[in-house]
Amino acid sequence: MTAVLTLEDVHRIYPGSPPVKALVGVDLTVEAGQMVAVVGPSGSGKSTLLNIMGTLDRPTEGRLLIEGTDTSKLSDRRLSGLRSKRLGFVFQSFHLIETLTALDNVATGLLYRGTSGRQRRAMAQAALEKVGLGDRLHTRPTKLSGGQRQRVAIARAIVAEPSLILADEPTGNLDTATGDGIVALLEQLNADGATIVVITHDPDLAARLPRQIEVRDGAIRTRAGEHRALENEHRTVEGGADR
Amino acid sequence: MSDRSKLRGRDVVSTSVVGLRSRRGRTLLTALGIAIGIASMVAVVGISSSSKAALLAQLDTLGTNLLQVEAASGGLSIEPLPIDAEPMIRRIDTVEAASAVIDTEIEVRRNAHDDTVVGIGTLGATPEFFETLKATVVVGRPLDDGLQSLPVAVLGDVAAIRLGISDLAGGPTISLGGQDFVVVGILDELPLNPDLSRKVIIGDEAAVALFGIAPNPTSIYVRITPEEMTDTRPLLAPTANPARPAKVEVSRPSDLLEARAEVDQNLQNLLLALGGVALLVGGVGIANVMVISVLERRGEIGLRRALGATRGHIRSQFVLEAALLSGLGGVLGILLGSAITIIYARRQSWVVDLPPEALLSGIGAAVVIGMLAGFYPAAKAARLDPALAVSGGTG
Repeated sequence: MTAVLTLEDVHRIYPGSPPVKALVGVDLTVEAGQMVAVVGPSGSGKSTLLNIMGTLDRPTEGRLLIEGTDTSKLSDRRLSGLRSKRLGFVFQSFHLIETLTALDNVATGLLYRGTSGRQRRAMAQAALEKVGLGDRLHTRPTKLSGGQRQRVAIARAIVAEPSLILADEPTGNLDTATGDGIVALLEQLNADGATIVVITHDPDLAARLPRQIEVRDGAIRTRAGEHRALENEHRTVEGGADR
Repeated sequence: MSDRSKLRGRDVVSTSVVGLRSRRGRTLLTALGIAIGIASMVAVVGISSSSKAALLAQLDTLGTNLLQVEAASGGLSIEPLPIDAEPMIRRIDTVEAASAVIDTEIEVRRNAHDDTVVGIGTLGATPEFFETLKATVVVGRPLDDGLQSLPVAVLGDVAAIRLGISDLAGGPTISLGGQDFVVVGILDELPLNPDLSRKVIIGDEAAVALFGIAPNPTSIYVRITPEEMTDTRPLLAPTANPARPAKVEVSRPSDLLEARAEVDQNLQNLLLALGGVALLVGGVGIANVMVISVLERRGEIGLRRALGATRGHIRSQFVLEAALLSGLGGVLGILLGSAITIIYARRQSWVVDLPPEALLSGIGAAVVIGMLAGFYPAAKAARLDPALAVSGGTG
């Protein structure tokens, strides 16, 4: 199997007095087609981990490989290009542009790839249909429910058919029932072949996903006892868990 | 696979337009600052250029081929022009018309018992006076050969007002140096020779015969074939006074009018500078609003970075937004300034003259100011840490 994402001994230290050690030696591999929950309480370092996996932040030490490409030496332009082609983001607060219709919001996901406007819209429509919003193409986010907004955001994340989808607390702003719908949608996308990492502080949500990674004090430890059979096939390396 | 971010040129523009459209009220208010600056500059240029155009159009109809030959002032004594100066000048081929006038000190009164009307003089003129100066009468008739030696007078327009004569009903008379003169005509305005408005014009023969004035002309007005102006002008002084050409002064009355068009330049510069200040203030306003906008839109900036925008993309989005914002102000300003110019020029019954280069440079200035104002906020936006921006800064 191809590793979509590999973290090698990643440290992230925020300067200050005293310096904040957000990540201390994380090793992690995500294979193509996996659906991974990164779970941990707030302050555990899971947001930092997400930012580093999304190349929005750079490790202080260690390497991040996306499909074998070492990102540590990439220029801003190449790194941005890598994000535009290989990564899709879903945020807790949706981050939709309110003056744009659902279709245009989703099309924004292709904006920085140099795709033509016509093609962007065609692909955006297909993505919206995939998330069940084919009848809301020209609705603005303000006229949509929370769940619908998150579906638009998910459509935007998948429109470019990225290698990896990173979802940061995708159900954090939603009620339980709506959240379940979103998780079901993500599961569906995973079943269709998408590789997805979900960051959450919610153990119930994490438990629903085939593989869980628990972050504590800036390091990873696998959750014993809850692994499915599939999980054992994957190499999940612990890094400095007891530091 | 090439992993470079690409943003199409037209998408840069539409992205910036989206940013402005989502904040219409603020966009308009911010653009207003620039609009006021540009409007005032356009109006200043438009009004002064319309005024100049009107003046030049007037000059065109009056002609710039009228010269005035005078005895030179300066020195202790003024050497009067020779009596035959005018006939001599008339002999030059390129002279179309010439008229000698004698400025007299004959006192002007409404009637023999009244006080002297101050500021109004009497001028003895040859019959060609009216043709040479293209002077027309609003009422009555000009002087001609038959009236030259008679006690009749034509009034300059201002002189007529001062003497209380507005028409010729009842055959009005005035008293010149104690003698009654019948008013036969009133002159129209003479824009090239405003001094003549304050004169009572009588025949030169009458002036000499009735008042014993020396027949030497004070001035000779000369109308020259327009194409021959430069060649003819130097001939006038030696022709008028062959013995002492240096004692003769030749001037062109239209130069004064033209100079008046240029005098406004200083005022115009001052007003333009004021408009420039308004423009700068508008630019600072744009910079301020953009800085706030960048802070408010951290989430959007983070999102765009996550979607693959480079720092350069973010920077150009915000610089372009500022430039568009300011350009919008420029367009508004040009409309406003043009409207002011048109209304003002119409009221003055001038031809409206809005120099296109002024309009273009108005837009250009606005866009440049906007870009300059956008650089700092755009750099701030581009420098935002994308990780902090997407999470709203809670890290």
